[in-house]
Amino acid sequence: MENKTILELKNVRKVFGQIVALDSVSFALKRGEIHGLLGGNGAGKTTLMNILYGLYRKDEGEILLRDQAVSIEGPRDAINQGIGMVHQHFLQISNFTVLENIILGTDVKNKYTMKLEDEVVKVKELCQRFGLNVDLNDVMSTLPVGARQKVEILKALYRGVDILILDEPTTNLTPQEVDALFESLRVMVNEGLSIVFITHKLREVLSVCDRITVLREGKNITTLDRKDASEEVFVRAMVGEKMDIENSIYFATEERQVFDRTSVEAPKLKLENVNLISQDGVQRLKDLNLEVFGGEIVGIAGVAGNGQRELAEVVTGVVPVSSGKKIYMGDDVTSKTNEDLLSSGFSYIPEDRLSDGFLPKATVAQNLILGQHRIKPYSDGRFINWKTVYAETTKNIKEYNIKTNGPGDVGGNLSGGNIQRVLIARAFSMDSQVMVAHNPTRGLDIPSMDFVYQKMLARREAQMATLLISEDLDELMRISDRIAVIYRGEILGVLERSEFDKYAIGRLMSGISPENQPSKEKTLP
Amino acid sequence: MTIVKKSLPYLLAVVASFVAAGIFIALMGFDVFKAYQTILFTSFRTPNGFIQTLLKFVPLLLLALAFTIPLTAGKFNIGGEGQMMAGGIGAAAMGIMFADLPAIILLPLVILGGVVAGALWGLVPAWLLYKFNINEILTTVLFNFIALFLIDYVCTGPWRDPAAGHPTTVLIGRGGWLPMLVNNPPLHSGIILAVLVAIGVYIYTSRTTGGYELIATGANPRAAGVFGIKTRRMFVLSLVLGGAVAGLAGAFEVAGNQHRLIEGMQSNFLQLGMIIGLISRGNNGAVPFVAFLIAVLEVGASAMQRTMMIPVEVVFIVEALILLFVLLSDVVRRK
Amino acid sequence: MDTTIIDFLRLVLLSMVPFVLAGQGTMLGGRTGVFNVAQEGMMLVGASVGFLVSYYSGSIFLGVIVAMLSGALFGLALAYFTTSLKMNQFVIGLALFFIGLGVSTLLPKLILGITLTPPLIPTLKGIPIPLLSQIPFIGPILFNQNILVYVSVLVSIGLWYFLFRTQKGLELRSVGEYPMTADSLGINTTKMRYWSTIIGGMLIGMAGAYLPMVYAGTFTEGMTMGRGWLAIALTFFGGWSPLPILYGSLFFSAVEVLAFRVQVIGSFLPYQILQMFPYIATILVMIFTFKRARVPAFLGNNYDREKRSL
Repeated sequence: MENKTILELKNVRKVFGQIVALDSVSFALKRGEIHGLLGGNGAGKTTLMNILYGLYRKDEGEILLRDQAVSIEGPRDAINQGIGMVHQHFLQISNFTVLENIILGTDVKNKYTMKLEDEVVKVKELCQRFGLNVDLNDVMSTLPVGARQKVEILKALYRGVDILILDEPTTNLTPQEVDALFESLRVMVNEGLSIVFITHKLREVLSVCDRITVLREGKNITTLDRKDASEEVFVRAMVGEKMDIENSIYFATEERQVFDRTSVEAPKLKLENVNLISQDGVQRLKDLNLEVFGGEIVGIAGVAGNGQRELAEVVTGVVPVSSGKKIYMGDDVTSKTNEDLLSSGFSYIPEDRLSDGFLPKATVAQNLILGQHRIKPYSDGRFINWKTVYAETTKNIKEYNIKTNGPGDVGGNLSGGNIQRVLIARAFSMDSQVMVAHNPTRGLDIPSMDFVYQKMLARREAQMATLLISEDLDELMRISDRIAVIYRGEILGVLERSEFDKYAIGRLMSGISPENQPSKEKTLP
Repeated sequence: MTIVKKSLPYLLAVVASFVAAGIFIALMGFDVFKAYQTILFTSFRTPNGFIQTLLKFVPLLLLALAFTIPLTAGKFNIGGEGQMMAGGIGAAAMGIMFADLPAIILLPLVILGGVVAGALWGLVPAWLLYKFNINEILTTVLFNFIALFLIDYVCTGPWRDPAAGHPTTVLIGRGGWLPMLVNNPPLHSGIILAVLVAIGVYIYTSRTTGGYELIATGANPRAAGVFGIKTRRMFVLSLVLGGAVAGLAGAFEVAGNQHRLIEGMQSNFLQLGMIIGLISRGNNGAVPFVAFLIAVLEVGASAMQRTMMIPVEVVFIVEALILLFVLLSDVVRRK
Repeated sequence: MDTTIIDFLRLVLLSMVPFVLAGQGTMLGGRTGVFNVAQEGMMLVGASVGFLVSYYSGSIFLGVIVAMLSGALFGLALAYFTTSLKMNQFVIGLALFFIGLGVSTLLPKLILGITLTPPLIPTLKGIPIPLLSQIPFIGPILFNQNILVYVSVLVSIGLWYFLFRTQKGLELRSVGEYPMTADSLGINTTKMRYWSTIIGGMLIGMAGAYLPMVYAGTFTEGMTMGRGWLAIALTFFGGWSPLPILYGSLFFSAVEVLAFRVQVIGSFLPYQILQMFPYIATILVMIFTFKRARVPAFLGNNYDREKRSL
């Protein structure tokens, strides 16, 4: 069967201020294929698709749909042309219902009374056809991530798209849910859709895509049929010549030395029977027990929304426990505030870096000392020694490769990746005893991710403790010594490095408890 | 960026608003040049003009700081007027109740009375924010009205001066009068204290850890909180400090100018204070300079109304336009 | 005794109008995320302009129309500076408040000159609705009011229906919750914001014009007495929804009238304390409602489509 090209983006150029996000990039999609758009963070994949969807305006280039040049000025044009997009961060109105979210922006039959029976029938039919089942009357904010993604896809299908763009769709799914998603994609393709699959995860692209286009630093690198190229070719395409792949951790294939626990006495951090009940009365953490020793990296795996943030905030003292104990280096610190903890050897990279970790209106220097502004060397408790601060900031800018005009540059001028680098610099430069890092590499390109991994392993060498909370299972499996799986606020199981198995962890992530598992799971007393 | 380059947008904003208002004045049929001459130069023509300017400068400076200190923490204090009035009441209360004490005790007591009263007037909205999360814009404004009625009560109540035609209190004790720097025309020494306060605020925000925490709180309260700063305490502290500074202005009115509490003493200092704070974009170092400029314009405005019958509101609109143009220059710079 | 209560309730309905109109105007803009804090200035301009136009044209109707237009102008400015230029909503709101303050006192001075006895306009009279106004007790209270009272109730009901029973209303609400979502679905968020602030401004202008036309018969400086700010509290109190705002206005109005009544009757309390009563009551009300207030999620923020997300 001859596969016609249904969509073509030609020589697209996009500049944001000084940064060239896309430099004459071209992309072609054939009808009925799943085409992977692969590249590290910042490569330009999302920017390119946002242009196609009308959220961004291109500076140069053209878009051809079914061999006809089209102009897409906004999402309405894209939708009219049959293009739909499922974004990485779901675009949903939390306090509207599922049905309201799906029909929002479309013309319903009863505009002036909002009786939606016809629309309900139509949506239910789609749910059946594509195997995406949700309750239309549920309010969005009550739904878990997997269900919300189904709603996102239904939104596009409801509008009768024939081109569907998925931006990093597997970010918050368990391995089993990922498989289910890929199944759905195959169903859609059989029903006549063409799919663009944006991701930075090589393995996924290799398992579901027909063709793969690699972008790097805003440029086309290659486009190949999946069967025509090996993993190495794609790896090299993603990172270019400059990166040392053999010694990288991101691409490491051989086994690392396992952490030898017998040589250490007591854990640096211990959580005993910690319970957390949130302000609205929901139990977020339940009888949680966890130990983190010096010289190890403990990974926390789980689907987003199962208590990871609460765990991070309880450990760092942002939120006090409802009951239970926190022991740090042998001392009971349960009642200490985050101010105390941050001044006595804790560091924190929050997940939501812009809202929880960064001051856009302040300078880079002011951002760097946040949390440490009361201790040496930056301050004597009363006055801040700006000279030292600036000197240290300059050092950190260099070491952590932060693209900025200098310590006095306003934070808001930095790009997302560089904001992340500031937070990383802040946390790592402290040489803290215990570090809590929540999705620390999200938004970074591959060489930068490697840099962070190197730093974490250096901490490990120096006998410091690191708690790595991540929604990227590959990442956790790459560098953790142990992985604890969190589900609905409980630690459901802990696996040693020698026992790491993606599907076993996936089962725990879905709440399937380890009663009949053959492999040994350790739950701490 | 050099100082010249940095202040260029402000100068352009001033020029632009003068031009815009100038067109309007001309359309109204007045002599534009004479009008501007009066507005700009009255302050410098006579010693009296200059002293008037300095007298206006003090409350404008303090009320601007009362607005910018909470602004640093991200909060909008619209209650400067009420806090100033409360300060006046507090100062007058001290001055009248302890009228017989010697200056060395009474004067500090009067000043302190004003500062504490103003601080309290800022504390209540701050506490409402802290405890119940009520938006401070609303509460501080409401307290302005409450203070208004309170002054009316004080000036017509037990302390009122029966001889006066207008509601006002009796004179405060002689010991509570601020020493004068110049006697004719009268300029009280409060200006020294005001300038010291401005310098103190500047040092606080730029060099101390407390000031840093204030800035961080205003820049992103959530992030500041995650990293150990007690942001809600910062909100309260900033509003109390703002209130205290406004209260000081009230104390100066009583102890320095009128030597009694007069109803209707506040005029439009509140709005001007906010305008100054906004033009300075919250930069505590720039506030004194902008405050001085506005003082010059205000003195010129009353002269203009007296001699040329042009309403003072024209100058007020000029000042609002300066604010608008400064804000716009921000937008232009971003592009 | 009976008539005092009837008079009282009648007065409450009469006095609620500025609250209702200003509250709904604030709510409408807020539903698309624009937090207007310029009401006080806008109402003063509405009062000033409405009065002058009524006086010189002899038509109150024309005065109201022009007052609405002035409010629309302020709304347009607010929309432009916040939505198109992305400037801070509070700062712009305050700036517009100042400008409104200045303009409202400037215009009468310029046009009328500085006079000692301000000229008067005839005030709006009640329009009795045939038959209904004859009903004992509720008749005179509900059905013998001036036209703007009826208008304000109709506006409230109309807004409720629009926001919660029509497609456009759903779309408008989505803009105030999560504009990026609305945008991605093809909804024109900018257009929605402009419309809501302009129409909201018209309502606020009307609210201001009501004051000289029903109460004093003339314009005096500062005659809003903080009602613009109270409207903001009212909007929170009403959970940014049209019908609760209508009920809340009754409450605010009742407090105001009550305080006035007690002053007139006289009591052992100094009258200034009574004058404070509406404001203190407002604060108490806010204590009870602020924690639970349902606020549009994007209120106070500006949306920039091209902003590089993280």
